[in-house]
Amino acid sequence: MSEYSVVGQKLPRVDAVEKVTGAAQYGADVHPAGMLYGKIVRSKHAHANILSIDTSEAEKLPGVRAIITQDDVPSGRRVFATDKVLYLGEPLAAVAATDPDIAEEAAELIKIEYEVLPVVQDVIESIKSSAPRLHGDATKDGPNRRDISAKIKKLADQVDSNSDEIRKLETELEKHTDEVYYNISAESHTEAGDVEKGFAESDVVVEDTYFIPRVHQTYMEPHVSVASADSSGKITVWASTQGPFAIRSGIAGTLGIPLTQINVIGTTMGGGFGGRFGVIITHVPAVLLSQKSGRPVRVQMTREEEFLDGRPAPGCVIKLKTGATKDGHILARQALAFWDSGSVSGASIGSTIRVRGVYKIPNIKVDAYGVHTNKSGTAAYRAPGAPQAIFAGESQLDDIAEQIGMDPVKFRLMNMREEGDAVPAGGSEPKVGYKETLEAVADAAGWWDREADENQGWGVAVGDWTNGCGPGGVYVSVHEDGSARIFHGSMDITGTDTAITQIIAEILTIPYENVTIRRGDTDSAPYSTGSGGSVVTFTMGNTAKLAAEDARRRILELASERLNTNEDNLELRDGAVHVITADPPKSISLGELAAYSLSTTGGPIVGKGSFARQPSTPALAAQIAKVEVDPDTGRTRVLKLVASQDVGFAINPMAVEGQIEGGTVQGYAWAMMEEMQYGENGNINPGFVDYRVPTSADLPTVESVIVEVPAPNGPYGAKGVGEPPITPTLATMANAVNDAIGVRITELPIKPEKIVDALKNNGHEA
Amino acid sequence: MARSTTSFGLQATPKHPVSLTVNGDEHDLLIEPRKTLLAVLRDTIGLTGTKEGCSTGDCGACTVIVDGKAVTSCMVLGVTASGKEITTIEGLASDGELHPIQQAFIDTGGYQCGFCTPGFIMASKALVDENPDRTEEEFRHALGGNICRCTGYTKILEAVLQAAEEIRTIS
Ligand code: FES
Ligand code: FES
Repeated sequence: MSEYSVVGQKLPRVDAVEKVTGAAQYGADVHPAGMLYGKIVRSKHAHANILSIDTSEAEKLPGVRAIITQDDVPSGRRVFATDKVLYLGEPLAAVAATDPDIAEEAAELIKIEYEVLPVVQDVIESIKSSAPRLHGDATKDGPNRRDISAKIKKLADQVDSNSDEIRKLETELEKHTDEVYYNISAESHTEAGDVEKGFAESDVVVEDTYFIPRVHQTYMEPHVSVASADSSGKITVWASTQGPFAIRSGIAGTLGIPLTQINVIGTTMGGGFGGRFGVIITHVPAVLLSQKSGRPVRVQMTREEEFLDGRPAPGCVIKLKTGATKDGHILARQALAFWDSGSVSGASIGSTIRVRGVYKIPNIKVDAYGVHTNKSGTAAYRAPGAPQAIFAGESQLDDIAEQIGMDPVKFRLMNMREEGDAVPAGGSEPKVGYKETLEAVADAAGWWDREADENQGWGVAVGDWTNGCGPGGVYVSVHEDGSARIFHGSMDITGTDTAITQIIAEILTIPYENVTIRRGDTDSAPYSTGSGGSVVTFTMGNTAKLAAEDARRRILELASERLNTNEDNLELRDGAVHVITADPPKSISLGELAAYSLSTTGGPIVGKGSFARQPSTPALAAQIAKVEVDPDTGRTRVLKLVASQDVGFAINPMAVEGQIEGGTVQGYAWAMMEEMQYGENGNINPGFVDYRVPTSADLPTVESVIVEVPAPNGPYGAKGVGEPPITPTLATMANAVNDAIGVRITELPIKPEKIVDALKNNGHEA
Repeated sequence: MARSTTSFGLQATPKHPVSLTVNGDEHDLLIEPRKTLLAVLRDTIGLTGTKEGCSTGDCGACTVIVDGKAVTSCMVLGVTASGKEITTIEGLASDGELHPIQQAFIDTGGYQCGFCTPGFIMASKALVDENPDRTEEEFRHALGGNICRCTGYTKILEAVLQAAEEIRTIS
């Protein structure tokens, strides 16, 4: 039995009724009187010089109220392209009209003259000197050149710059001219131990190159915002966003407007997964159109625009090498990764280090580069960068296990770090349920006595992630009827409002139904970090705890006054304060105390919690899939998909299961079906017909297994839940397919044609 | 490119008189022939519970029930729905009582962000009304026109099966 009565329970969510009756207000449901409809004018080429933009025809169309281009951005910050476009769909102008169809017609009437330039879409092509340049030369040295240059620099401090040694190194450097990479947006390098030595001591060394495609978060609600600028200059923005406070500062910074002049109202969010933090995608254009027209304006993307100008997850190419002894000790791992960051920098290249996984690897070296291509920029998608790196890492582990003849689960268990172990290139290991989680999934899936018919196979993989943490504030008030009301400013993301409510009910010892929660806008609510990075339950849960404890202090103070006894003799239980030693029992309810408080010097019961940072603890997701592959058609059917996760403590197990199930299916989709495809002129599959996401028909039930190894600083031990479940699935699926048909697919997604081709290369006759 | 969410790319033409019965209420409207039923419901009548996820008939977020059949309202022109009986998510609960399907989505945690939920509930209602005896596998295939990006479908299927069971026992 749990020691708690509200936390740890599967309770219905606080927003249940509004979500099942259509009452919840999402971004596009906001419709202020006099609202105009905005439309963004987009580039029709993936790389081109802009010769002219002519809005005169569009201006004449009846119903058009405002047209804006970069000339209308007083701060000069880039909102629209002016002289050059870098991807298909890049914004060039925007229109506001009285009707959405008129806005669209007007957008079509804006004439743009282009001078088309050569396009580069592939990272491996883009780093070559022959590639078209997106932002000047932007060159960086590859790993060998870096190493040699570092040696030269070190030597130069000791010997004459003309010495033989230095000259030899310089000649060596010359040999690596192909390692001058072009179109580089960023780089990241990490090293611990000596990988060369590690490989030399290894009995088995496996090396492969992994290709992971760019995928879209495909939250079901496309980007939308409604902006209204009044005559005093005050701007109100209804934004579908994960972070209203970040949007407020983003708009202020982009347009040079004081922060206090902007109020952002976060609307119910139709999914985000990391992709809903962008400021200029719809919010800034809506504000500019409203300022120019003097009317509220809604800018809402279509699904097609989402694919062209959303900020999806970066694809990447990872060359990975791993060495191990024949008795199963991993000795060294080295990665070289090229991340496709699109037209701007920002791909999660730092996540390449996740190839180390949760294993003791004494020698590790990671070199990662962000590479420009003619695509939109990228953003976070559920554990940004981790699924890609872990796909490479966990695929390769299975290949090693196979070569040394060891069970893949046992091989992982044997190499997993334990509490106190050094984390390669990063501190020491806290207590995390790595082994517990992997063992739990193996047991639940029936791994140890698994059976497989012909063309069936089992795959396992694990993925780790550590939740973020950020500032937040919560108020809680207790009312005369004994109920409590929470006030805060963080966006609900898959049930976080519910978790906050459960925590406050738990501490105030009142029924869950008697606690209500309300979100403020950025004008009214205390500052709150964005709802992404699995931060909300960790951050806001801690914040809520502090607020409830603060309220409890005041409650006990009031009760001590009222009952004329020392606070030490008092206990808050079942919504009332009891005198512990009283016989006959003596108590006073929260409602009575709240009523009494109104006429006291100290005043009403208001608890305040504010919190910014505590170290968080890694979480592990472990998954097992059983698949059946049809060798003739290449189709893969999932027979079983089991996902376990160390969540620290499940404040609402139903919500936690939902996160595990949803994240796992997104991982499955990345492995098996999703891929943004690019042709000579940009994205070629901007819709659900050509960009297939899974439906209920594609999958069986996902079995989730909750493991609870408490996080020292999490509320009740909870840790971030939302991101980990997507991290291992890509490799889980690839490993299962490999087990079924003996074909290692290193290029995602694992579409049927790839399986058929791979089998053909292996001699299979279709 | 970036085709409109509300029209079929048709040019503006004179408005047509249209009578719709939505959730039992009659609406006599004048609408442009290019407006979809989705646009009429959301923008003209102001019933925003029905969602727009793709505008191309591929996600099911806009599902409503027209004369007993589930349809994606982004693929229907408003004028062609004249004279028809339409039920939207707002019309499902009666006398303050949630419909068993709505209740089942709450009980099982069959929604997260909730954006796909009105469409899923309407699609499920049409399926359950038609035949509540489907197996899980049959429901999985029958709901294949609706996309949910959050739940991974496991809890949605639980909800639909729970509701089907309940409706079987009442009827
Ligand atoms: S909005 Fe109609 S099917 Fe997607
Ligand atoms: S609950 Fe978010 S899309 Fe289904």
